[in-house]
Amino acid sequence: MTRKSFYIICLALCANSVFANDNTELDSLLNQFRIEEVEVTARALAKDVIIPQTLKGAELQRLNALSVADALRYFSGVQLKDYGGVGGIKTINVRSMGSQHTAVYYNGVQLGNAQNGQVDLGRFSLDNMEEIQLYNGQKSDIFQSAREFGAAGNVYLTTRKPYFKTGERAHVRAQMRFGSFALANPNVGVDVKLTDALSLTMDAEYVYSNGKYPFRYRRVLPTGETAYDTTAIRQNGDINAVRAELGLHHYYRTTGFWRVHAYNYWSNRGVPGAIVNNVWHNGERLWDRNTFVQAQWQDEWFNRWSTRLLIKYANDYTHYLNYDERLLPSDNEYLQHEVYLSFANKVQLFKWWDVSVAYDYQYNALARENLLLHASPEYFFRHSHWLSAATAFNIQEYLRLQASVLMTAVDKDAPRVTPGVFASFRPYPAIDLSINAFYKQSYRYPTFNDLYYTDLGNADLRPELARQHSVELAYRKSTKAYDLAFSASYYYNRVTDKIIAYPKGQQFRWTMLNLGTVKINGVDAKADMSFFLPMRFVLRTRLNYTYNTAIDVTNPNDTYYGHQIPYIPWHSGSVVVNLDWTSNRGDHYGLNYSFIYVGERYCQQENTVYNYVQPWYTHDLSLYGEWGINRFWLKAYLEINNLLGQDYEVIQNYPMPKQNVRCTLAFRY
Amino acid sequence: MHTRFQILILALFSLLLCACRGDEVIYPTIGTHVTDEVRTGGLYVLCEGNMGSNKARLDYINLEKGDYYSNWYGAQNPRQMKELGDVGNDIQQYGGRLYAVINCSHKVEVMDLRARHIGQVDLPNCRYLAFAGDKMYVSAYVGSVADPELLGSVYEVDTATLQVTREVKVGHQPDELCIVDGKLYVCNSGGYLTNRYDSTVSVIDLHAFTEIQKINVGINPTRIRKDNQGHLWVCCQGNYADVKPQVVIIGHRRIETPCANIAIQGATAYIMDHENKRIKAFSTIDFTEQEQPIDISTYENPYALLATADALYITDAKNYVSSGVLHCYSYDGREHWRALTGDIPGHLCRVTGAYDLYPDTTKHDNSHKYISHVYEFVPAPGQFVNELPKYEEGDNAESMCRKCEASIANNAGGLISLGGWGGYITFGFDHAVQNQEGRDLQILGNAFYMSGFTEYGSSEPGIVLVSHDDNANGLPDDAWYELKGCLYDDPATQHNVTRTYTREGDTVHNEFHNHPYYPQWISANSLTFNGALLPPQSVTISGQNVQRILDYGYVDNKPNTDLDGTSFDLSWAVDAAGQPHTLDSIHFVRVYNAVDEVLNVTGELSTEIRGAIDLHTK
Repeated sequence: MTRKSFYIICLALCANSVFANDNTELDSLLNQFRIEEVEVTARALAKDVIIPQTLKGAELQRLNALSVADALRYFSGVQLKDYGGVGGIKTINVRSMGSQHTAVYYNGVQLGNAQNGQVDLGRFSLDNMEEIQLYNGQKSDIFQSAREFGAAGNVYLTTRKPYFKTGERAHVRAQMRFGSFALANPNVGVDVKLTDALSLTMDAEYVYSNGKYPFRYRRVLPTGETAYDTTAIRQNGDINAVRAELGLHHYYRTTGFWRVHAYNYWSNRGVPGAIVNNVWHNGERLWDRNTFVQAQWQDEWFNRWSTRLLIKYANDYTHYLNYDERLLPSDNEYLQHEVYLSFANKVQLFKWWDVSVAYDYQYNALARENLLLHASPEYFFRHSHWLSAATAFNIQEYLRLQASVLMTAVDKDAPRVTPGVFASFRPYPAIDLSINAFYKQSYRYPTFNDLYYTDLGNADLRPELARQHSVELAYRKSTKAYDLAFSASYYYNRVTDKIIAYPKGQQFRWTMLNLGTVKINGVDAKADMSFFLPMRFVLRTRLNYTYNTAIDVTNPNDTYYGHQIPYIPWHSGSVVVNLDWTSNRGDHYGLNYSFIYVGERYCQQENTVYNYVQPWYTHDLSLYGEWGINRFWLKAYLEINNLLGQDYEVIQNYPMPKQNVRCTLAFRY
Repeated sequence: MHTRFQILILALFSLLLCACRGDEVIYPTIGTHVTDEVRTGGLYVLCEGNMGSNKARLDYINLEKGDYYSNWYGAQNPRQMKELGDVGNDIQQYGGRLYAVINCSHKVEVMDLRARHIGQVDLPNCRYLAFAGDKMYVSAYVGSVADPELLGSVYEVDTATLQVTREVKVGHQPDELCIVDGKLYVCNSGGYLTNRYDSTVSVIDLHAFTEIQKINVGINPTRIRKDNQGHLWVCCQGNYADVKPQVVIIGHRRIETPCANIAIQGATAYIMDHENKRIKAFSTIDFTEQEQPIDISTYENPYALLATADALYITDAKNYVSSGVLHCYSYDGREHWRALTGDIPGHLCRVTGAYDLYPDTTKHDNSHKYISHVYEFVPAPGQFVNELPKYEEGDNAESMCRKCEASIANNAGGLISLGGWGGYITFGFDHAVQNQEGRDLQILGNAFYMSGFTEYGSSEPGIVLVSHDDNANGLPDDAWYELKGCLYDDPATQHNVTRTYTREGDTVHNEFHNHPYYPQWISANSLTFNGALLPPQSVTISGQNVQRILDYGYVDNKPNTDLDGTSFDLSWAVDAAGQPHTLDSIHFVRVYNAVDEVLNVTGELSTEIRGAIDLHTK
């Protein structure tokens, strides 16, 4: 694909938003693409080797989604864990490999949690998100930091970048959202063009919800007669959170840029806990502060040598307190530091052959203090090094190949090498049909909790190994009347040395062991279709379906040998249908319907009737309008989620909200 | 392209149709036959379940039948909101009741011996139980008021009112407790305070309910048991580091051994060394270690231990997050049987005095098409009463039901007689019989056709009543519905007839049966029956006393080889007023003799039953 044709696709994708802004101002388009260009330069070549799943721009905003986690439900091959409510933890699994095999990148730099290895995606707001991408295997751009070659699944979160039309110097966005369960969510963003090349973005958001949502447990006798039917209100699910971000972007020449991004998130929330017999509320509280500053510099020389430097410092504080009178109190503080450095280089040897080398270093420290026992804090440290080498070949228009090797060294553990091979074959260059395949190995290193948790940690753990095999068939076609993209993939993954908690003797003393092998077979199918109908109507649909088996094959003597692992549904899928109408003045009106289905699954290793969890599915509906007067824009969204009020649980004993409503008013200048 | 789109949409919608969410049905109980050995009484297994999973599960083993029932409590108490609860921690029988501590549900569940809910006592973070007089004593990790020292409490609860009467502060995280000579001994484990474990046993005077002494035993004491000599054996877990676990016999000896669990039977204390996977036996007299042949070396995580007079029960908790295994051994080391339990089978309780327990509300794993259980057998005085089945000195209503079972349950092929008019039997299957299209139930008798006729023969019609276990208690104490036979609307049929028989008897004895006709196991001197009375059907054909064969709807009316003539449709059910009543399924069947005729030679007409079959079970 030529760079030009890529821009055209980009244009088609952005058509809606561009059209909305101003369909005559060409320079605004150019301005926009100039910035896109920087991102695109490196990506265009590799684009087809691994096709990411993407949600961006207006499509992202139209989804019935509050956080990144909500949006990721619309991707195939993803299993979400959601403990319910605005404040409930939300993590994802990609292709059933475990959430710790999924890396999440915020503007190109991985978010870490050395303590438990989990990134709570419920904390990342969609309001300043421009794009969410999910890559299976790895991003198929060989010009990336070494660490990016290391995870089995990768989620890239990209925040809004400033776009200025000619003569514009600043943009302001102000938004207010109200909703059920006392949700109040104001958001303000300011973009300032300091010079032609330098711009500043600021974004701040506050979220409050009392989390008091009704939930219902109803059970029937085998005869169909009601056994019990109880509705209660979720308690201690309140959240107060503030997010503030600051970005500085500098673009120079046509090849280089640097940017600095500072992020701060505070929250104070209740942990509502499991609903079990005789327990309707819990008293746990959690205070968090996540701060990071990251800087990125990138440039290109002689049209063939690209260099990128990333630096990050993160500081995360967690305070966990249990107020519950019925339990022994606990009061713990955790403080984490992370320093990260990445240096990546790519050289184009020939037009058809690129090579890259990257080195990353990371330092993690965790201080843990039990405030109740007045014990002196415990400290844990870790040094990690990653060294990657990668190469990409393009054999005319037919075949693209990539191969990478990553060497990982964590502390004194012997360095481990993991390869990855990616190929994309286009039998008929005239048709956008490709067959993509990859094989990749990746390690998931034990977290501080795995290694050192009181009475549980095991310092002798080995990393968990995932081997992925995937084949994909993808087809894409764009005309004036429609855009179509279909793809289907088959994958086979094998996770060995799985780190699991294992009991050691009595009194619930557990330890972590490398004990577990899981065999995963799956099929993902996706169809994205847009139809440009007469009268300026656009119909967009997005269909996703995943079937997968994730079988425990650790030990034939286990009662759960050959059983599906916990919380992995066999079937899952989603449907999004959007009808959008643009008036001749450029105003927008639209209706968005989404349906998410997660099939039956089991909540424990043994697939027995006592561990069975029913399917759940929700219908969400939203209506929106967008009106422009000169350079002022007003947007209004009304969302109804879980339209039919299904009583469901994603995680057993953590009830999810019934029908709920959100209303958003946004102003933009 | 559009066709492909349509196919996708169709595929998605068909997926939805076949994979929708249904009503959430309560968890069933599943019965599994684990042994043919017959012992007495039953055994409850309290499976802890992991914290937050709400999977505490009470399983029951009917030792008399060798049947293991998972989730017994759930089946007995289907209306308990969110089932038994979160993390079972102790179970004991005291008097005629069963008490279970559900730690993370902060309650003591009080049940009858069939595990039917009686009440609950809400106690925060409760752990273990002890009983004396009319009081229950419960250790709890926290007191009613939060304690800055994190000391726990022991609560005194009145077993009659289930109210807390007194509370006493003890040490850190009190676990097991034991009563000796009016004093309560509580293990203060300190189990939540890593590196700062408690090491004392608190002694509480039960009269004053105050702590009178703290005995230093050893780090992290968790279990305390009294032996037959009055010694107290305490299991101290150590600090899982330099201080090794030990068993302390207060005032006598220390035995250095891992000791996850302890059980005392006779003059032997059995100690579970979970680290070396051994059961060790010690004399309670001289504390010497004895030979002990039971081998648990193949266990993954030995967990619970119960020693009874004839068997040692040991559980393996496996990996804590999947089914455990209960093993039954005799003291010679032989393993007799094993059964799969719930998650973390932690606590065992042998019950006595519980009469036969049987699940009726849900489907059985190995459900049989034949009846499995006889609930009531009340024949009216008659010539075969006390004979079919045979009455023996000492029999009671219960044992007669067992004899009926031996005779006709599980396709045994025997015969029982209902005696004169009104006499009845109530039986059931090990599952509910569904009301489906066509006939649902076949009941076998001993009717036959007269040679060369199908209109005449030996017919001793009984009327069928059915009942659904509405209150889900497993007992036939719910509303009964009559299955309407062909004579229901006949003007000669008398409905709602009541008759009383007395021990003196008004039944005419015949020459072949000169034994008592009144059921001997019934202590009351009179028996009253109520039901319909069919018109006399006897005729004399070719000099033979025969009966007219009825068209349909009666037991012991047509030969067993005639499926249509001996089977019944649950859709025939009518209520007392004669109005049709829809039943989706039934649990209990009652058959009573509906005729009152005495023939010269063969005696009275009396319905006989050979068994019954659920026509929907293969």
